[in-house]
Amino acid sequence: MKRYGLLLFLFFVGTTPAWAQTVEEIVNKANLASYYAGKSGQSDVVMTITDAQGRQRTREFRILRLNVKEGGEQKFYVYFRRPTDVARMVYMVWKNIGKDDDRWLYLPALDLVKRVAATDKRSSFAGSHFVYEDVSGRGVDADIHELIGDEGGLFKIKNTPKEAKGVEFAYYFVWIDKTNFLPMKAEYYNASGKLLRTVEALEIKDVQGYPTAVKSQATDVERKGSTIIDFTNVVYDVGIEDGIFTERYLRQPPTQWVQ
Amino acid sequence: MVSLLSGIFANHRHNGSSDMKKILFFLFFLFFCPSVALASFSGLHGFVENDIGIKLSNDTTKRDNYNMLEQRFQLKTTYYAQGANYWAEKGAVVNFRGDFTVDEYYSGKTDFDLREMSLSMSPFSKMDIKLGRQVLTWGTGDYLFINDQFPKDYESFFIGRDDEYLKKPSDAIKTSFYPKLANIDLVIIPYFTPNTIATGDRLSFFDSFQGGIAGTNSDRHIVSPPFQMSNNEYALRMYRSFGSNEAAFYYFHGFDKNPRSYKDEANRELYYSPVDVYGASLQGPFARGIGNLEFGYIRSREDTNGSNRTVENSWLKLMAGYSRDLGNDLKIGFQYLVEERLNQGAYDDNLMPSDYRWDEFRHLLTNRITKLFKGQTVNVTLFTFYSPSDKDGYVRPSVSYDITDQWKVTAGMNLPWGEDDRTEFGQMKRNKNIYLRVKYSF
Repeated sequence: MKRYGLLLFLFFVGTTPAWAQTVEEIVNKANLASYYAGKSGQSDVVMTITDAQGRQRTREFRILRLNVKEGGEQKFYVYFRRPTDVARMVYMVWKNIGKDDDRWLYLPALDLVKRVAATDKRSSFAGSHFVYEDVSGRGVDADIHELIGDEGGLFKIKNTPKEAKGVEFAYYFVWIDKTNFLPMKAEYYNASGKLLRTVEALEIKDVQGYPTAVKSQATDVERKGSTIIDFTNVVYDVGIEDGIFTERYLRQPPTQWVQ
Repeated sequence: MVSLLSGIFANHRHNGSSDMKKILFFLFFLFFCPSVALASFSGLHGFVENDIGIKLSNDTTKRDNYNMLEQRFQLKTTYYAQGANYWAEKGAVVNFRGDFTVDEYYSGKTDFDLREMSLSMSPFSKMDIKLGRQVLTWGTGDYLFINDQFPKDYESFFIGRDDEYLKKPSDAIKTSFYPKLANIDLVIIPYFTPNTIATGDRLSFFDSFQGGIAGTNSDRHIVSPPFQMSNNEYALRMYRSFGSNEAAFYYFHGFDKNPRSYKDEANRELYYSPVDVYGASLQGPFARGIGNLEFGYIRSREDTNGSNRTVENSWLKLMAGYSRDLGNDLKIGFQYLVEERLNQGAYDDNLMPSDYRWDEFRHLLTNRITKLFKGQTVNVTLFTFYSPSDKDGYVRPSVSYDITDQWKVTAGMNLPWGEDDRTEFGQMKRNKNIYLRVKYSF
C-alpha cells in the first residue's frame, strides 16, 4: 500500500520538479522514515567505538521503541548487555515534544532507579560518537530548513538551529534519499565553516516494507575517532505495550523482550 | 530451584565457608543439571579486582598504615526459564551474584559474600514476586536515605569500596502489584540485617562507653533482634506517576539499622530499637533539572514520648534535592536535609549529667559534581557532605578511567572531618584514606 502510494504520488507530481515539495514536507518525511517506522520496533544494537588512537570499545544492547504519536512522543527502552560491567543496566527515555525528555537509569547492582536530568541532548550516547539526538531524533522544529540542492537522487538541505545555545554546530547539511526519504548523510559545521562531524548511513535494508538504515557511522572530524552502529534482528510492529516503559520493567526487565 | 533457593536463604547466617559450599553446589547445578535444557543461561560474567586504601591519619585501629587491602572475585549470572512450562510462562528469572574475597586486613582471610540469589517471576499479569537474597532500594536521595530503611554498609562507604557495596542485600520476599490507581511494593524481611558500621577494628568511631574516638579498645556488644515471626520487618511503597512527576508513599515497620539505643549500659550493650517509618516523596522536572522532595516520620516504638534516655527518640526528616545537566558531560546536584529530634523537652529532662546531649536539629548539605572526559571513559566526581549545625563534613573525590572495556582503574579519597569527636562525620575523622582500585571485568 505504501509503495502504491508512492507511485501515485510520483504519477501526480511527475511532471513538476521533485523539489516542488516544500522543504518542510521533506524534513517531516525524513523524520518519520528514520525514527518512526512501524508503530513499534525492536532491534539488537552493537556500537563499535574507535577513538583517535585507534582503540576500540563495544556497546551491545537491545532497544525497544514505541510511538506514542506518529511524528511526536515516543518511548525507548535500552537494555545493556555489554560491556559486562553494565550488563542488565536499563536506560529508559520518554521523548517529549516541546519539553525536556524524561530519562531514567536502572542500576541492577544497587537496585536503583535513578531519574536522570536530560537537558543536554548533544552529549554523547553511551560514550559513542553518536549524540542523543542522533539516536532519538532532533525535533524538526529546532532548525530552519532550506532546500539548497538536488544531487544524484538526494535532496540537500541546510539546517540552521533556531536556538544557537546548547548546540556545538552553527549549521548542518543533510542529504535525504528522494525515493525513501532516509537521511543518507549529515555534515555538521561550526560558524567559520569548518567541518566538525559527520553521520552517514552505510547500509539500507528493507525490513517489513520499511527502508531501514541497519548500519551507520558517526565520525568526529575535529578530534578524530568514529563509531559504527549495527542494527540486527530489526522487527517492526512487534506489539510492545505502553506498560513496558515503566518502573516495573526497569526493575524487572521483561524477559519476552530482552532475552 | 525454589527449594535450593530457600536452602541458601535459610542458612545465610552461617559463616562464609558454608555459603561457599552452597554456591559451589549451585554452580554445579547450573552446569550439570539436566533441566539446563529448559533454561537459557546468560553466561558467567563478573570481575576480579584489587583494592588498596592507605590511611592518611593516625589511629588506634588494628592496622596503622592501611584500612583496605583486598582482592575480590565476583561471579554473576542470570538464568531464564524456557520452554513450555509454568516457569517459562511466568517469566521466571534467577539472578546470582556473589563475591569471593581475600581480605589482607585480616591477614588474608577468605570469605564469600552472596550479593544476590533471587527468583523473580510474574505469577499474574498485574503481580510480580521476587524471592531470596536481593538488594533493595527506593527513595529519592543521593547517598541520603529517609524512607529507604534497607541495610547499608557504611564501612565499605568510608574505606572507598565501589558504590555497589554501600547497599547490603536483604533476605526478603518482595511482592509488587500494579492496579490502575497506583503501584504497590510490599517487602517482607524475615531475617534482620543491620547496617555495617565502624566497630573500631578497621574504622575508628565515637564510642560513648570509651568517652571518645575508639579503635580496638572498643568493647561494646550489639544485640540483634532474635529471629522470630514478631520480628519480621515490613516495607511498603505505593507509587505512581502524574505525567513526568512521580509521587510515592512509604511505610516501614522494623528496626533502626544502627545500634543507637542502650540495652544494658553496665554491660555495654546496645541494640537496634524498633521503629515505624511513615513517609512520602515527590520527584520530577524542575527548573531545567530534576527536583525531589522526601519526608519521613520515624516513630520510635519503645520511646514514643521521648522520656526514656536509653532509647533513641522519634524523628522528623525532610530532604530537598536538585540535579542538573549543564552540558558537555558536566552534572551537578545539591541536597538539603534537616532532621528534628521529637520530644526534645522530654529528652532533655531525662538526661543524666554524664550523658552526651544532642541538639534538636541537624542540618546537612550535600553537593555532587561529575564531569566526564575522553569519550566518557574518564569520570571525575566530587561528593561533599557538610553539616553547618554539627560543624562536620565529608569530602569524597574520585577519578576513574575505563582503560578498555575490561580494565578500569579508580583512585579516590575519603576525607571526613569535624570539630567535634562525636558527630556523624567528626567521629570518622581519623579514618581519612586514599584508595586505588584496579578492576578487570569479563
